[in-house]
Amino acid sequence: MAWADFVTIAPLIGAILVAVAVVLVDMAAPGRRAPALVVSLGGLAVVALLVLVTGQTPATAFGGSYKVDALTTFLDLLFLSIAALTILFAPDYLEPRDLPIAEFAAVLIFAISGTMLISASADLLVLFLGLELMVLPGYLLAGFAKRDALSTEGAIKYFLLGSFSSAIFLFGLAFVWGLTGTTRIAGVAGALGAIAAGSAPLSAGLAIGLAFLTTGVAFKIAAVPFHYWTPDAYQGSPTPVTGYLSVGPKVGAFALIIRLFIEALGPLQADWLPIIWVLAALTMTLGNLVALTQTNVKRMLAYSSIAHTGYMLVGLAAWAGGRIEGLEGLLYYGAAYTFMNLGAFAVVAALQRRPGVTSSLDTFAGLGRREPVLGVLMVLFLLSLTGIPPTAGFFGKAYVILAAVQAGPPVNVLAVIAVLNAAAAAFYYLRVVVYMYMRDPTSETEPARHGGLVWTGLWVTTALTIALGLFPETLAEIVASAARAVS
Amino acid sequence: MDISGLPLLSIITFLPLAGAILIAFIPRGSLGAIRATALGVALVTWVFSLFLLLGFAPTHTPFQFVEVADWIPVFGIRYQLGADGLSVALVVLTTTLTWISILASFGPIRERVKEYMISFLILEVGMVGVFVALDLFLFYIFWEVVLVPMYLIIGIWGGANRIYATIKFVLYTLVGSLLMLVAILATAFTFQAATGSWSGAFDFESLRNFAASGGFSGTFQLFAFLAFFLAFAIKVPMFPFHTWLPDAHVEAPTAGSVILAGILLKLGGYGFIRFALPLFPDAAHTLAPAIIVLSLIAIIYGAIVALVQPDLKKLVAYSSVSHMGFVTLGIFIFQAQGLQGAILQMVNHGLITGALFLLVGVIYERTHDRSIARMGGLGAPVPVYAATFGFFVFASAGLPGLSGFVGEFLVLLGAFVYSPPVAAVAALVMILAAGYLLWMFQRVAFGELSEFLRGLGDHLTDMRPAEILTLVPLGTLVVVFGLFPGLILDLVQGTVATVLHDVGTGTAINLLFWQ
Repeated sequence: MAWADFVTIAPLIGAILVAVAVVLVDMAAPGRRAPALVVSLGGLAVVALLVLVTGQTPATAFGGSYKVDALTTFLDLLFLSIAALTILFAPDYLEPRDLPIAEFAAVLIFAISGTMLISASADLLVLFLGLELMVLPGYLLAGFAKRDALSTEGAIKYFLLGSFSSAIFLFGLAFVWGLTGTTRIAGVAGALGAIAAGSAPLSAGLAIGLAFLTTGVAFKIAAVPFHYWTPDAYQGSPTPVTGYLSVGPKVGAFALIIRLFIEALGPLQADWLPIIWVLAALTMTLGNLVALTQTNVKRMLAYSSIAHTGYMLVGLAAWAGGRIEGLEGLLYYGAAYTFMNLGAFAVVAALQRRPGVTSSLDTFAGLGRREPVLGVLMVLFLLSLTGIPPTAGFFGKAYVILAAVQAGPPVNVLAVIAVLNAAAAAFYYLRVVVYMYMRDPTSETEPARHGGLVWTGLWVTTALTIALGLFPETLAEIVASAARAVS
Repeated sequence: MDISGLPLLSIITFLPLAGAILIAFIPRGSLGAIRATALGVALVTWVFSLFLLLGFAPTHTPFQFVEVADWIPVFGIRYQLGADGLSVALVVLTTTLTWISILASFGPIRERVKEYMISFLILEVGMVGVFVALDLFLFYIFWEVVLVPMYLIIGIWGGANRIYATIKFVLYTLVGSLLMLVAILATAFTFQAATGSWSGAFDFESLRNFAASGGFSGTFQLFAFLAFFLAFAIKVPMFPFHTWLPDAHVEAPTAGSVILAGILLKLGGYGFIRFALPLFPDAAHTLAPAIIVLSLIAIIYGAIVALVQPDLKKLVAYSSVSHMGFVTLGIFIFQAQGLQGAILQMVNHGLITGALFLLVGVIYERTHDRSIARMGGLGAPVPVYAATFGFFVFASAGLPGLSGFVGEFLVLLGAFVYSPPVAAVAALVMILAAGYLLWMFQRVAFGELSEFLRGLGDHLTDMRPAEILTLVPLGTLVVVFGLFPGLILDLVQGTVATVLHDVGTGTAINLLFWQ
């Protein structure tokens, strides 16, 4: 254990220190939002700087169990943006409901440090630690409105299924460890490479391990048929939390998939490709079909986030089909999805500023007239989620589809399934636009006033949603170098 | 004025966007300023598009006014614009119909004028962009940009059943276009896999050369062509993909119908001529017989259904299905007269059907009714209206001397060379067309003034100067192109020759043994 090791993990330590600092500041000045916000946002900015600095040189630490590469840097910056944007959106929603802001920020940053640990793991145990550090604060956040029955119900479901899937996942890890004799990801890959090179079929133990790992991960990313916890957890949680849950743990779980399936289990890609193929097809299709019937926007976005998981799985399948573009597309999609989905949830949260306002479609009736700017931004996010150019969502989809087409059969069939799903998705996304612009308000509600923080966050997500669609070059290069780091 | 140094195509494409942004900053109450800005921007765009006509040299290389800039170099995607004769003709048609539509909207659109004008100008960006994009990725983006404003125009300012109609329009279009996206990406990747570089993978010219050298296998061509075909066939719309059209037309506001019929349907025809035929000639040859049969069905079916329509707008909508059948027929017989006729028919249909929708809008504004049965005897109280209506009805029916005739005649000529029975079937429908149009006109304009119209009393006024102003340019062009079709034919001769040459290299794929 050397000094250099601590330099390498400086961003992770930094994130945890920021979370602790927020708690301490809140103890010093209880209930005041300004100090907590300054410390958390400023701290996240410093951590981002640390990520950039340490990301300059790929390195490993603690005997090779922790590593920093281009992928780590990319994902960490994405996670930090998720945390910062969520902290910008949350106060306007939490304050009127008497929910503590400082605690929210602290728990959130703890969760984010979990995702950062995942993105930097080079060891299966560290990976599992990161996973648990990511999801445990998530359960707290889901039940953050503790006097609200729906929130509690969602949190308990999330917790039970989450713990259950973690256990399954750990069981799978044990099999892999038992068969390969190591928990180092590089070592696992080496051992599996030797097995894959032989002509013998997969041993029963390895197959069982693979099945458990896939199941555990599928729960975490909410892939069909392991998605049942999602709608309740999403609908019950306070809206800014839902926004976070729909992107943070999801991208985090995909980081885990990349480290585990691509890096460690990469040699077995031919074996897990069929499973991922089926998961992707089911997830896209079922997520979209059920979203079609929703009348609550939060629940609709929950199901649609399942569908987006499916599109990202197409990228994974394309990687397994032999195209590195699949991983690039997955990463691009992850970034695009993060910003457009956070933006959409931010609009929902802003509309619900007054306690008691539901997220049903009726809340959106006549929004275009009541709050023109918010209406236009929501249209933009919805178009991006649909995949209409020139938005981030469109380029993300095009990237994934391109990779799927390149991978050839059977993955190119997923490309067709994906676009047909995107067309179906247009129906429910545009239904919100119908309510906003083509229906009159159901009740005369005064337009709510939105604070500067919300607007800042909205403009950032808007700018990124447009920029990633119009000028994809920069991010495309970044994800390409990130993808090269692992495969 | 020296225009050679200006990026003319970019100006025409994005000037409306600048106008839309400008309008966004005008307070929503100042209707006059919003309307004036929208019309002003549309007129300036139109003037710039006229410079294309002046500057275009039909004898030179196919694509002129070319602009190229790197956009997404990792995938070789470039911002690349260029226009041949076909593009120029359709761009000018677009800019003309846009300002006419905006002018025609001053009266009927009184709600949310600001959003309306913004939507309309963004719509123009997409339409012009489609006609001038030479990079397939860029083309796709403009193609989709068209969708959103039209969705809003029908959905917000449309009739009673507008939400159903607009969602149907979007879903139909989106299914086709997203499959086309897959085909575009697959095409680019096939190029990249063969040449080892993304450079030029989305560039139309390099793909065209690649196709000419036999780069796309038969199987690939079939799949890619089918995806493009679906997107374009839905837009045209060809039978049996036309069912969104009557709904969209009936519910759309007048100007929306004008643009829908005048330009949006042309996007499909343009796509066939520009991309589907030159890139996938073998597949085009293989599937041409089936497409010709579908076109004949569209021609007959559209005419028969138009015959029994009780609603003026629906009648014009179904007549569009029939008329656009001539376009696809003319394209897929791979023959000079046919293609010339198809292009002429595209332009003429835009002018004539656009005018007919404007005229239906004029009467609807006064009566709030479109049913043919309740009209009758319009000739006496509103003579100017009846005469103008009659003029465009005759043009649509293909009266020689007016532009509608020439296009259909050339298509028939080409069809006759291809196969006399095909020509005979298509020609018979021209009689049907005269039937449904003239019968409709007779019921609307002649005879006693109907009970319903009499009840309107003074509300039934003749056309206002502004309304006449929207129709005069269209009428003039209908006469000019009727007498001098060479004006368009000269413009597009390069396009016709190139496309026929490209598609001529194709041979039908043996579908039973394709590998």
